[in-house]
Amino acid sequence: MKDCSRRISLRSLASWRLCVGLFSRKDPKKRIGALFAICFCFAVIIAAQTRRRAPTTQRRPTTVQAARGSAAKYSAFLHSSEKHKSLTCNECHKIPTTWAAKRDFPDVADFPDHDACVRCHRAQFFTRQAMIGTGPAICTVCHVKAAPREERRFAFGKPNAADQQAKAKDERQFTIEFPHDKHQNVIARLDECHRLQSVRSESHHKLKSVPLDDKKPDYNNCSICHQTDMSLAIVALPAPNADPAMLHPFKSMPRTHDSCFNCHWKNEKPVAADCTGCHKAAPAFIAEPGRKRISAKFAHEGGKGEHVAECTTCHINITRAGTLRGLTPDVPINACAACHRESKKTTYPKAVTIEAELEQFKKTGECAYCHTPDVGQKKPPPSHETAVQ
Amino acid sequence: MTIRYRFRQNGFVRTVFIFFFLLFPFTFSFVAHTQSPPAAPGVVRLKVRYKSAEGTKDLARKRFYLIKGSLDQNKPLIEKIKQTNIESRECFYRSQSASEPLIKWLRDNDCESVYCREVEDKYLSGPDAVREFQTAFEQALAELKNRDAARRWLPNYLPPQIRSGFYDAKQKAIQALISETESTTKTPVMSIMTDRKGTAYLTNIEPGIYTISNLVGSETEKTSLLWICEREVKATDLGVAMKRPMMLSNEKDPKVKCEVIERPLPVCNK
Repeated sequence: MKDCSRRISLRSLASWRLCVGLFSRKDPKKRIGALFAICFCFAVIIAAQTRRRAPTTQRRPTTVQAARGSAAKYSAFLHSSEKHKSLTCNECHKIPTTWAAKRDFPDVADFPDHDACVRCHRAQFFTRQAMIGTGPAICTVCHVKAAPREERRFAFGKPNAADQQAKAKDERQFTIEFPHDKHQNVIARLDECHRLQSVRSESHHKLKSVPLDDKKPDYNNCSICHQTDMSLAIVALPAPNADPAMLHPFKSMPRTHDSCFNCHWKNEKPVAADCTGCHKAAPAFIAEPGRKRISAKFAHEGGKGEHVAECTTCHINITRAGTLRGLTPDVPINACAACHRESKKTTYPKAVTIEAELEQFKKTGECAYCHTPDVGQKKPPPSHETAVQ
Repeated sequence: MTIRYRFRQNGFVRTVFIFFFLLFPFTFSFVAHTQSPPAAPGVVRLKVRYKSAEGTKDLARKRFYLIKGSLDQNKPLIEKIKQTNIESRECFYRSQSASEPLIKWLRDNDCESVYCREVEDKYLSGPDAVREFQTAFEQALAELKNRDAARRWLPNYLPPQIRSGFYDAKQKAIQALISETESTTKTPVMSIMTDRKGTAYLTNIEPGIYTISNLVGSETEKTSLLWICEREVKATDLGVAMKRPMMLSNEKDPKVKCEVIERPLPVCNK
């Protein structure tokens, strides 16, 4: 045994000594040669590994697993549990809701009534164990507190009252299926003589025809669903950019059934009662995507300049999007260059050009007109140079 | 000591050892390099125009389809496209006994279905009133008890053929052509809609030869226009594509390999 282990250790020692020997030789030419060989190998490896790869566009959704296996799990309702999946939507949800929902149109505006829960979860409501502590945890799926006379419920989608409390975590259990391409086919029509003006009211977002005037026309009917999101104020930019329009750069997404039911209330599939026509159950909670200003200071409405182009002129891929999965705003710099280019100065004399900003970068090290500091202080990508060539 | 001595003495063993030592990183780098990223995609910028009696106009809001393969390769499909005959909007609605004001409303708004515009109050009563809208509005009001909601949700209460019959028939024909194409070419058909200025971008296309067509004739004022064109797509970026758009027109252009079929809109029986 001793011999054997000694032999192994001698072998490994020999390998090490060979490597060391390459450098400890007295012949300096051979030593340099060996050093170059090793350096070359490392260089090749590093070059291979640092090669640029095509960027991956798909982002993993942030998922948070619901709590399982404890009494508290009944405070987190899961549509995707085996039992719940076996039920049809209208076995629990009344369509339209018969409770005191305050909508100006028939809607699924509130949680299901007690019977929908109690018929299977009697034990979680009425046993002694359920009453321990703060009361039945299952009540807090809908109610603000677990108490016998607690009537206040969390907001179900759009709040029914101003004081209605939203759940602590705004998480969704469904993804939405919306084919932009089909909807563009149907609604993105414009007669050249028939300019439109977007008119927003409290209850709906449809477009109304108005006579030709100086107001900005609304071409693609995107504003039926996407309005300027006034609820989201982005952290104020430095003083020169204190334009209020810059505080609300994003468009909203539909959060109610209002715009859908204009056409899909009945007859046109998927109809209101067919929840799964649009809502696809997700295996886990999906955190509401948080929006933040990363790069551009662009404001759709107002801002320093008036962006008058129609939506699809810049969002060039939206009319082919058959699903919301993997959908990105995808506005290429070339779309900006169409107006913000030196050669266009005669058409838009006040437009700040990309060329001017590139020159500015050479002087100050920042492209401040279009970009936030964290992005504007980086070296402009080659796409910006080529877009204006 | 003995082993060290052997290594020093045996040049062959040493050479083999060094050879494998150097081969190891080369193998890694070779594998990394052979996993090359996919070929750079191509972009086509379409610019569609048509010449009518009133001058040259941009073709707005029309969908175009990108089909893998040349005109020759897609010959059977092209024959089918040519044979596909869609009734004109006016003829369709007349065949459904639609009222004159409804046909006018669809024409004035350039609509293929009633979904494309909100129905305004003036179309529910008065000289511009549309009979179909009035009937649907009354039904909606009886059910919803809310005048504004009834007007906005009016399309829900129209008969299916009036609501979207023409659009559905057109989509059925297009879908049939797309399904057949996809099963033949084994490649999904990409589609894009032109904007107000007749511009559309087909991005992220694998380089190759493609057929670009609107599959069924697009109605203009007095004619129906069908484009069946061929285009070789090379790896390029958007900047280049913007400088050199692919022009589609009903006028002859020797630079574009295109077949344009222009048919006058039929006169419909009243």
